[in-house]
Amino acid sequence: MLEAHDLTKRYGAQTAVNGLNLSIAPGEVFCLLGANGAGKTTTINLFLNFIDPTSGTARINGLDVTKAPLETKKCVAYIPEQVMLYRNLTGIENLEYFTALGGHEYPRSAYIDLFRQVGLAPGVEDQRVSTYSKGMRQKVGIAIAIAKKAGALLLDEPTSGLDPKASNEFAALLKRMSDQGVAVLMATHDLFRAKESGTRVGIMKHGSLVATLSTADIGHADLERLYLEHMHD
Amino acid sequence: MISRVARKELLEILRDGRFRVLSIAVLAVSLLSLAVGWKQYTDVAKQHQQAQAATRAQWLNQTKKNPHSAAHYGVYAFKPKSPLAIVDTGIDPYMGVAVWLEAHKQNEFKYRPAQDRTAVQRFGEMTAAETLQVLVPLFIVLMTFGTLAAERERGTLRQLLSLGVKSRDLALGKAAGIAIALGMVLVPAAVLGVMSLALTSDGGFLASSPTRAAWLVASYLAYFAIVAAICLGVSARARSSRLALVVLLTFWFANTVVASRVVADVASWLHPTPSAVEFQKAMDADLNDQQEMQRRLDRRKAELMRQYNANSIDAVPVAFSGVSLQEGEDHGNEVFDEHYGRLFDIYDRQNTIYQLGGFAAPMLAMRAISMGLSGTDFHQHRDFITAAEAYRRQIQRTMNADIMAHPVRGGAAYLAGRELWERVPEFQYDAPATGWVLRNTRWSFAILAAWLVVAIGWMMRPLPRAAI
Repeated sequence: MLEAHDLTKRYGAQTAVNGLNLSIAPGEVFCLLGANGAGKTTTINLFLNFIDPTSGTARINGLDVTKAPLETKKCVAYIPEQVMLYRNLTGIENLEYFTALGGHEYPRSAYIDLFRQVGLAPGVEDQRVSTYSKGMRQKVGIAIAIAKKAGALLLDEPTSGLDPKASNEFAALLKRMSDQGVAVLMATHDLFRAKESGTRVGIMKHGSLVATLSTADIGHADLERLYLEHMHD
Repeated sequence: MISRVARKELLEILRDGRFRVLSIAVLAVSLLSLAVGWKQYTDVAKQHQQAQAATRAQWLNQTKKNPHSAAHYGVYAFKPKSPLAIVDTGIDPYMGVAVWLEAHKQNEFKYRPAQDRTAVQRFGEMTAAETLQVLVPLFIVLMTFGTLAAERERGTLRQLLSLGVKSRDLALGKAAGIAIALGMVLVPAAVLGVMSLALTSDGGFLASSPTRAAWLVASYLAYFAIVAAICLGVSARARSSRLALVVLLTFWFANTVVASRVVADVASWLHPTPSAVEFQKAMDADLNDQQEMQRRLDRRKAELMRQYNANSIDAVPVAFSGVSLQEGEDHGNEVFDEHYGRLFDIYDRQNTIYQLGGFAAPMLAMRAISMGLSGTDFHQHRDFITAAEAYRRQIQRTMNADIMAHPVRGGAAYLAGRELWERVPEFQYDAPATGWVLRNTRWSFAILAAWLVVAIGWMMRPLPRAAI
């Protein structure tokens, strides 16, 4: 579903992503761990074709994202670290708009269901987004991603700003989607969440994937130790 | 997709307090300038009608007198105002609207409102055309500079593009949303304008000007579309909405304020006009060419004597005083045609420069079209001058022919009466057809169309990667 072949991005002398090879099958949740600047966000931007790779390819559904930028984007949903919405529109108007531009139309009741699914309190859907907290905006972003019914998810720190309860609910949603066969690439700092939600974990450092392991094979403490070992220069 | 973007854009604009304030301001100024134009038009149209009737009555009710005295008595000719002059007064305030037609002289136009004004008033004048050409583009700039730039700043653009939305659809949808919002302000103003036009002109507008009005509306729409497309194109590519605003305000200022002054300077530098004094001096010198006059009279004398087989001019059955007067007119007419012709050709060439200036600033093309369709541009002014001058010459010919036909002997005076005055028909002037106007402004139309195609084409180009 999501594949990277020798994917490399250089900015001048600096290498942001270095020869990344990755394949995420339907139903898999791949968590990308790493320090700030390790290349996690750049990897996601490469998959979204927001930046051109220096070499190598990123494929979604077997299609090269640089050759079929529109078709590949139709197959993925993206949640950024900070979901941005239109302040003068209500929550549900935002959800409706992003969903429509993603190519779907639903009745209002379906949008309200989505708001409940992501844990937004009844009544907030008709409030202007300018009154929302960061966590609420993030939940709208999650609802937008679900409504897109995409085969793959690209998540860039999607739970930042969410309280532990909401974070937990998000993990449950992720589980349900992966059960439905969605391939997930998630950049995160949260080792605990990565171990709980992920099927595989990759540790990135200076643009390179230095370790990949299956979460079933490793305990939380071991993961943390391994992570810190890699971070230690 | 495009309509969905347009709907959301419109909703956002309508919920934005700035739009409400700006649109009320623009609507108020449009209506105010229309009201001022309407008042001016109705006043002037009524005055013209009364004055035209008065000048005719005065002409007909002259006492018995020598036809040449009547020729000196003269008449006024008034340039009829098209109802569309409410929208665009054009050069009328500077060139005048009435001319005194008398013997021996092709007079300059009188009644230039601009003459009686102070310099401050001259800049403070707000016609509907200025509102449309200057203020509405500013309104469009202020409404649209952030359309895409602000979405990029806020990060919503990334999210939209991550959905697989084409940037072209986004730009088109936004353009449509803005167009609808703009229409909500301008359509009421236009409807009120057309209604007041129809009401003021006793149905004359509906009979004569709809074609011109339709072209005018279409041209202004194209002009606004050009401005909006440039705004969206800049907004899509500027690094920040602040930068977009700076760039667009610079464009607005250059287009509406700087360009017309620069092009006026260029035009008068390339095709300088003589000063009024120089012009008059040169023309007077030719008019007072006594040798030429003597040659003409001698030739006519010889011709007449040959024609009537007479050996003295006194034996010819034609009053030579009339012949001599007509010779004076003919000589004067040649001089006028030469001097005024040369002057007007300079104006014409300057006018072409103004029109070509449209390549640099679309407002110049729009201005030429607007004045042309409103019947207040230089071409139509010249057309009227020519018609009025032809009428003056007709009066002179009629009077002089009557003098010629009534030779008197021994110091007796010939007096003519109402029967002769009536032989001069009332001055009739029909404004040129729309097709003639369109031909005169063809450059401006072509330039405006080119701007439209290029601006929209540029707006729809895919966003450069760096602009995401």
